[in-house]
Amino acid sequence: MSAITSETARRRTIRAPYLLLIPAIAILLLGLGYPVIWQIVTSLQQYGLAQQFGKPAPFVGLDNYAALASNADLWWVVLRSLLFCIVTALLTLAVGSLLALLMAAVSKAAKVILQIALLLAWAMPVVAAMTVWIWLFDRRRGVVNYLLDMIPGVEMNRFDWLAQPSTFFLVASIIVIWMSVPFVAFSIYAGLTQVSDEVLEAAQLDGANGWQRFWFIIAPMIRPVIAIVLLLQLIWDLRVFTQITMLKDAGSKSGDFDLLGTYVYQLGTSAQNFGMASAVSILVLAITIALSWFYIRSLLKEDAA
Amino acid sequence: MNRKFGVVAAATAALLVLGGCASTDTPAADEGGTDITLWLMGGDTPDTLRDYLKTEYAEATGGTLTIEQQDWSDALSKLTTALPDAENTPDVVEIGNTWSPTFTNVGAFSDISDLHEELGGDKLLPSFVEVGKVDGANYAEPYYFGSRYIFYRKDVWAAAGLTVPTTLEEFNESVATLKTAGQSGFYLGGEDWRNGVSWIFANGGDLAKKDGDTWKSSLSDPKTIAGLEQLQALFADASLAPVTEADSTPWVNINNNAATGAPEAATIIAPGWAHWSIGDLTPDPKDATKTVATWNDDTFGAFVLPGVDGGAAPVFAGGSNIAISAASKNQSASRELLKIIFSEEYQTLLGQNGLGPANLDYASALGDDQFATALVESAAGSKLTPAAQGWAAVEGSHLLEEFFGKVNGGGDIEALAAEYDAKIDEIING
Repeated sequence: MSAITSETARRRTIRAPYLLLIPAIAILLLGLGYPVIWQIVTSLQQYGLAQQFGKPAPFVGLDNYAALASNADLWWVVLRSLLFCIVTALLTLAVGSLLALLMAAVSKAAKVILQIALLLAWAMPVVAAMTVWIWLFDRRRGVVNYLLDMIPGVEMNRFDWLAQPSTFFLVASIIVIWMSVPFVAFSIYAGLTQVSDEVLEAAQLDGANGWQRFWFIIAPMIRPVIAIVLLLQLIWDLRVFTQITMLKDAGSKSGDFDLLGTYVYQLGTSAQNFGMASAVSILVLAITIALSWFYIRSLLKEDAA
Repeated sequence: MNRKFGVVAAATAALLVLGGCASTDTPAADEGGTDITLWLMGGDTPDTLRDYLKTEYAEATGGTLTIEQQDWSDALSKLTTALPDAENTPDVVEIGNTWSPTFTNVGAFSDISDLHEELGGDKLLPSFVEVGKVDGANYAEPYYFGSRYIFYRKDVWAAAGLTVPTTLEEFNESVATLKTAGQSGFYLGGEDWRNGVSWIFANGGDLAKKDGDTWKSSLSDPKTIAGLEQLQALFADASLAPVTEADSTPWVNINNNAATGAPEAATIIAPGWAHWSIGDLTPDPKDATKTVATWNDDTFGAFVLPGVDGGAAPVFAGGSNIAISAASKNQSASRELLKIIFSEEYQTLLGQNGLGPANLDYASALGDDQFATALVESAAGSKLTPAAQGWAAVEGSHLLEEFFGKVNGGGDIEALAAEYDAKIDEIING
C-alpha cells in the first residue's frame, strides 16, 4: 500500500517539470518552428509572385541551393557580412569594455551622467537615430564634412560618404557600434561589480600593476559575460538590416552595398523570388549556428565544470 | 496540489495569450455604407484631389474612404505582401504603369471588363489600357500620365550665350559648357535610369525586345550602346550629382541655394508637375520653416528634350494605372470609387493639377501654358518600359540602377551590358 503511494508520488514529481515546459515549448514551436519550417519548405520550391497569389508551388529539390552555390554575387555578400559583423562586434566589445572600466573608476556623479547618456543612446528608436546619422554624414550640409573641412589641408567639402562601399560600411559600422555599445558597457559593468575588492587588493599588495590586474584577474573573472556579449553582438551584427536599408535609401540602390539582411529582403519581396530568398536565409541560419557553435560548446563545458 | 494548479494556470495563460491573436475583427459599419482603403503612390496626387475623392465617396456610398500613401521606393515590396492577403489588402490601388503586366498576369486584380465602357472605353489612354490587359480582359485602367521634360535657368544659359538647343547633340554640348566647380550644367544622378534611358531611346535603342513569346534584354544592342556612350560622357562632362543617386528631387538644385544665392544646376529633367516646386523662394506664410516657390518666367524656362535629328526625344512615359485588388472583400464599393475617379469632374481636376488625365477627352483641362504644351509634346513621343511579365522583378532587383551607376561611374560599357543582359534575362520572363 505505502509502496504504491510513494510510486505515484514519484511519478507525479517526475511528470510535473515536463508539464511545466509545455506552454513554453508550444509558444516556441508556434513562434519559431512554423516560420522555420515554412522557410525550409519554400527553399525547396519554385516560389515566385504567381505562387504568392495562389498558384501551386512546384517542388524543385535542391535547385535553389545549387543556384546559390554558383552565385558569385552572393558569396561576396556573405564575405562582406562576415567581415562587417566580426570587425563591428570586436570594436563594440572594445569600446564597451573601456566605458565599463571608466564607469567603475569614476566618481558617482560622473557615473550617473555616463549611465544616463548611454541609456539615452540605447533607448533611441533606430529610425530616429538613423535619420540624424544620415544628416550628420550628409554630402552637402553634414556636420562631419563641415568639421573635417575646417582642418587645414583636409578637403572634405561635398565628400560623399555613401558613394563607395568602403566609406559606406565605415559609416554603417560607426552607427551600429554607437547603437550597441550601451548594452555591452552595462553588461560588462555588471560583471565588474561582481569582482571582489579583496582579490584586487591582494593582487595590488603583491605588486600587480593596473594592466596586470585587468588582464590576469578581472578579465578571467568576467569571461563568461564577455563571451555571451560577444556572441550576441556577432549574431546581431550578422543580421543587421534597418541601418543598412536606410543608408542604402540615402545612397545607392546597387547590390555592392548589400549585406545578408538586405540581400535576402531584396531577393524576396522586391525581386519576388521567395524560393531563392528562403534558401539564402537558411544559409544565414547555418552561418549563425556555425559562428555560435564554439561559444555554445565552451559555455556548456564551463557549466559542466 | 499547488504545483498542479500552477501548471493549469500557466497553460491557461498561454492559451489565452495564443488565443488572443486569433480574434477576428467584426465587419465595420452595418449602417452607412462600406469603408474602403485606397493606396496612392508617392505625393503625385495633390491634397485637393484626395479630399475630393473622400467627400464624393462618402456622398455616393455613405462609407469612409481611407487614403494611404505609399513610398514609390518600397511600394513593390508592400504590394507583393499585401495584395494576396484578404485581411490586409487595400481595396483600390494605384500602381506604376510598368508594373501592371506583372501584377495583372498573376491575378492580383479583379476583372473589370464590364465596367470598361462606363469608365471611358476607347477614350482612355490606349498604351496604358494595353499594359493592364490580359487575354483581352481589362484588369488595370490608366490613372494619369505624366512625362519628363527639361527645366532650365534662363539667366545662366543667357549669360553663357546659349539658346534652347534643337538637337540632342547640341543639348549635350551646351550643358557641358555650363558646368563649373559648384554648378552642374545638367543635374542627373548616376543611377537615375528612368531619366537616363531617354538617351537610349533617342538613339533608337531599347531596354528589352520581344522575340516571339519571350523577352530579351537588349543592353548590348549597338543602338543602346550608342545611347549609353552619350550618357556616360554627359554624366562626366555636365553633372556633379553623386554616381549613386537614383530617385532624387532635382528641383532643389535649380532653385537658388539659400546659402549661396546661386543655383546648383543650370538644367534638370523632371516630371511636369515639378514646376510647382520651381521658382523664386519666399518663406511660407503658413509655416515659417518652409518656403514656397513662385515660378518666374524671367529666370526659369522649360523645353522638351530634343531628339537626335531635332524634334522631341522619346522620354520614359511616366504615370500610373489603377485597379481593384482581387482579394478585396469590398468589390462593389471599390467599383463605386472607380466611377468617381473616371468622372468628368475628377478627370478635369487631374488635368488642372498638371497630371495627364486618363480620359483623353479631358486633356484640354491641362490648359495651354508652356507646361501643358511641353507635357503633351513630350508625352506624344514617350515610351513605356517592356511589358514583360517579369518586369516588376527587374525593377525590384535594382539591376538597372546598378548598371547605370556602373556605366556613369566610367565602366566598360560593352562588358557591363553583356553582364547585365545575362542577369536581366534570368528574371524578365517571370
